[in-house]
Amino acid sequence: MSSDPNFTGQSTESLVTEAKEALRRRKPGRIERVGDHLKREWQLYLLLIPTILWLLVFLYKPMYGLQIAFKDYSVFRGLAASPWVGFEHFQTLFGNDQFLRALRNTIYISMLSLIFGFPMPIILAVMFNEILHQTFKKTAQTIVYLPHFISSVIIAGIVITAFSPSAGIVNTVMGWFGLEPIYFLTKSEWFRPIFVGTSIWQEAGFQSIVYLAAIAGISPTLYESAVVDGASRWQMVWKITVPSILPTIIIMLIIRIGNMLEVSFEMIILLYQPATYETADVVNTFIYRQGIQGGQYDLAGAAGLFNAVVAFVLVMTANTISKRYSRTSLW
Amino acid sequence: MLNMNLYSRGDKLFVVTNMVLIGLFTISTLYPFIYIASLSMSTGFEARAGNVTLTPVGFTLEAYKQVLSEPLFWSSYKNTFIYTIGGTLMSLAFIIPGAYALSRPQLYGRRFWNLMVAFTMWFHAGMIPFFLNMRDLGLLDSYFGIIIGFAVNGFNIILLRNFFEGIPQSFEEAARMDGANEFQVLWKVYVPLSKPAIATVALFCIVSRWNGLFWAMVLLQDEEKIPLQVYLRKVIAELSDDEEFATSLLSAAYSFETVSAAIIVCSIIPILLIYPFLQKYFSKGILLGGVKE
Amino acid sequence: MSGVSLKGIIKAYGAVQVVHGIDLEVQEKEFVVLVGPSGCGKSTTLRMIAGLEEISDGELTIDGRFVNRVAPKDRDVAMVFQNYALYPHLNVADNIAFGLRIRKESKETIASSVDEVGEILGLTPYLDRRPADLSGGQRQRVAMGRAIVRRPKVFLFDEPLSNLDAKLRTQMRAEIKRLHKRLGVTSIYVTHDQVEAMTLADRIVVMHDGRIEQVGSPMDLFLNPANTFVASFLGSPPMNMVKARIVAGDQGPVAEFDGQSLPLAQIPALQNSVGKAVTLGIRPEFVTVAANGTPGCVNVDVDLVETLGSEALIHASLQGDPFVIRTETLGHLGMLGDISGFTIEPDLIRVFDAESGAALPGQGTKS
Repeated sequence: MSSDPNFTGQSTESLVTEAKEALRRRKPGRIERVGDHLKREWQLYLLLIPTILWLLVFLYKPMYGLQIAFKDYSVFRGLAASPWVGFEHFQTLFGNDQFLRALRNTIYISMLSLIFGFPMPIILAVMFNEILHQTFKKTAQTIVYLPHFISSVIIAGIVITAFSPSAGIVNTVMGWFGLEPIYFLTKSEWFRPIFVGTSIWQEAGFQSIVYLAAIAGISPTLYESAVVDGASRWQMVWKITVPSILPTIIIMLIIRIGNMLEVSFEMIILLYQPATYETADVVNTFIYRQGIQGGQYDLAGAAGLFNAVVAFVLVMTANTISKRYSRTSLW
Repeated sequence: MLNMNLYSRGDKLFVVTNMVLIGLFTISTLYPFIYIASLSMSTGFEARAGNVTLTPVGFTLEAYKQVLSEPLFWSSYKNTFIYTIGGTLMSLAFIIPGAYALSRPQLYGRRFWNLMVAFTMWFHAGMIPFFLNMRDLGLLDSYFGIIIGFAVNGFNIILLRNFFEGIPQSFEEAARMDGANEFQVLWKVYVPLSKPAIATVALFCIVSRWNGLFWAMVLLQDEEKIPLQVYLRKVIAELSDDEEFATSLLSAAYSFETVSAAIIVCSIIPILLIYPFLQKYFSKGILLGGVKE
Repeated sequence: MSGVSLKGIIKAYGAVQVVHGIDLEVQEKEFVVLVGPSGCGKSTTLRMIAGLEEISDGELTIDGRFVNRVAPKDRDVAMVFQNYALYPHLNVADNIAFGLRIRKESKETIASSVDEVGEILGLTPYLDRRPADLSGGQRQRVAMGRAIVRRPKVFLFDEPLSNLDAKLRTQMRAEIKRLHKRLGVTSIYVTHDQVEAMTLADRIVVMHDGRIEQVGSPMDLFLNPANTFVASFLGSPPMNMVKARIVAGDQGPVAEFDGQSLPLAQIPALQNSVGKAVTLGIRPEFVTVAANGTPGCVNVDVDLVETLGSEALIHASLQGDPFVIRTETLGHLGMLGDISGFTIEPDLIRVFDAESGAALPGQGTKS
């Protein structure tokens, strides 16, 4: 051992310690860095895992299950063993009068809701802003927000009761004017006005919050200088309030168009009946009847896939437009 | 605000007209509720005859007696509480940790995970695959199925994530240097700092759980397990579909109209009780969730 | 020894390097201030020491221990944040105790430590209050209390005074200095305010674009800046910069500019640089004002005289560049209007290479 001329008397232990120290000090490689990160942050991933797993099990797995739209599904064989049929279900759908009717109704009802439902919250917000009496304003707001929180069953219950031919208030009032009672909910021509009117009644107040927030962001000095310039309240509405919230209006319009296919079918299920299918049946209620109630899972699944893809394209287009719009308009 | 006395005549007219219109809209919102409440406290005879317009006619609480003596009403009420409380707690148990993790800049693949959440808001597989999935998981006709199956939603995660992102990073860093681990940072610092946002999310969950109808209707066949809304729907559907059955219930004291009005009143009351909180947090919530993505 | 040592510390985000290799030895009990304009990498460097940012390359040792890959909580350092990061839902005592509770100290230890810290910082009457009910200065003290209660080996300060108003800042500056004297803990302090740097530091580290420009005692940096960046960064108002050329005069090197001249110190570096284009650095405080016609005086065009009470700032221009003179008002009051130039001792002029900006070697005054 001592024959080594370089031996300086250093102990083995200190050599080992030194080597270990050198190993420790060397720059960590890529994998080691990931290891370091996980060692330090593993708890973060533990917090994330349940949510991700939930998404996979309850939302992403059904997306995999969408293949049912291309299969001849049999409950006994299960999804995997059911044979592929290509676009057969889609061909059936587009030759199916009921489906085409549902598609038309969906678009029709969405358009009506958009035309009559979209301006209402804006008008309400502008009007609320013009109310000077704070207690009156607060009370009115408290009341008009309320229907948003009421379940669709209750709203439907109120509608059914109010429009009932014998006891309903609508027919009672019509009776005062000598009009014959109408059983509104069995008349297909009345379904859309009642449905759209109900949803405006239920949501317009609450939707005005977004615009009220935008109005609250307008600098009061704009109004003060307009007053000094001799502008009337009416002029201030058109020259200051509306132009100031125009970006919000446009963004909301784009979002609204993006969500056009989301007709609240829960309410339709509650209000429609075979007599009004002609005007009331939308894609989602069609899917519900064919699929859940009728057991034709594959055909209904195909209709659902069609609906989802169109909705996705609409939403993504709207997102892209609104992103571009908000960037150029704000900066 | 500006002094009313300084207004011109045109402005005064404008302000008054505006107030009247808002007043009318407010009354039209409130009236149906008053109508239903009055109906529920009128006699069945008067209700059937269409004599109830504003106040109860022939005041009676017979309809409530009918409702409260129905065991299905009580079991569905109890179930709604189970679904609402259980579902909200379950949602928070997923959403708070998930949103926190997604808000941390040091999370690897953060963009990917966030996209995975946002994507579920843009694309949904739809009714049929979701239903079949629940069936395959053995979650039909199960309390647990309803509670877990709707625990997470993208909007609530993003809302809370945005709030967490708005809290200065230095709060986490200070706690880290003090020796706190992620769980402690979240539980002892971020959760207390985020009480308003968590309250908002909790209220969103409570309202959607309390009002939830469609999936409870589809997934639950067992009458013992149905929530209030499904029960209410059964009653109302019978009212509109089955005239004969409705007539059979006709008596002097109560009618189908008054009974269903009474159930409506009973199921609105809890929402009215939490309404002050709802109003306080909801408007903030929709604005917060709208900021990004 | 609980010093901090940085060897070739680099921070890169992907391909972008923001800190280009910092070498620094902080001695035990030393108070070192990192100063520089925003974006110079000083905060990033501090955060790497704290463990809040990963170190891309280089070696960091604290108290002789290699800590590159050690978690922040295990580095035995404490940090005071710019926004204080006080927990609004906890009162002062609980804020201070937070770290001790996390570390599962005994109740008695926590109580006595909190009391002691409250005593040191004069927070005893406020221990039950929430941060929202405190003044800016008190919050600042709580933030420091939270750091010192753990008795760490090193204190890190990230612009702790920048949220305070000017008066409070002066007061807190003095308190931090006193606290450091009392506790004697190694401290690293980041600021963009050169006054804080000058008053607090044992040694100042001037940083610029992710590099260290100069390290030294405050007076050393003030008197002998290594380059034009340091010269113009430290001092208020900053050092005047005058473009000139060195020529050989009768008695030694002379700086020539704008048809005027100034004799320079007789040191080899300057004597050997005849013909060189240079930048003269002249501190506003080091010149003597002169009235019209004083022999050897450099003439400037005076724009404006600002009187600040005991002193006055004379804003002038020389060769079209701004030139500021700081002078006592006492004794000059009658002539402030007549001033048209200045004189200066050759030793007090600093000469920098016009191209590189580096100070020519061999100049300097011992502080």
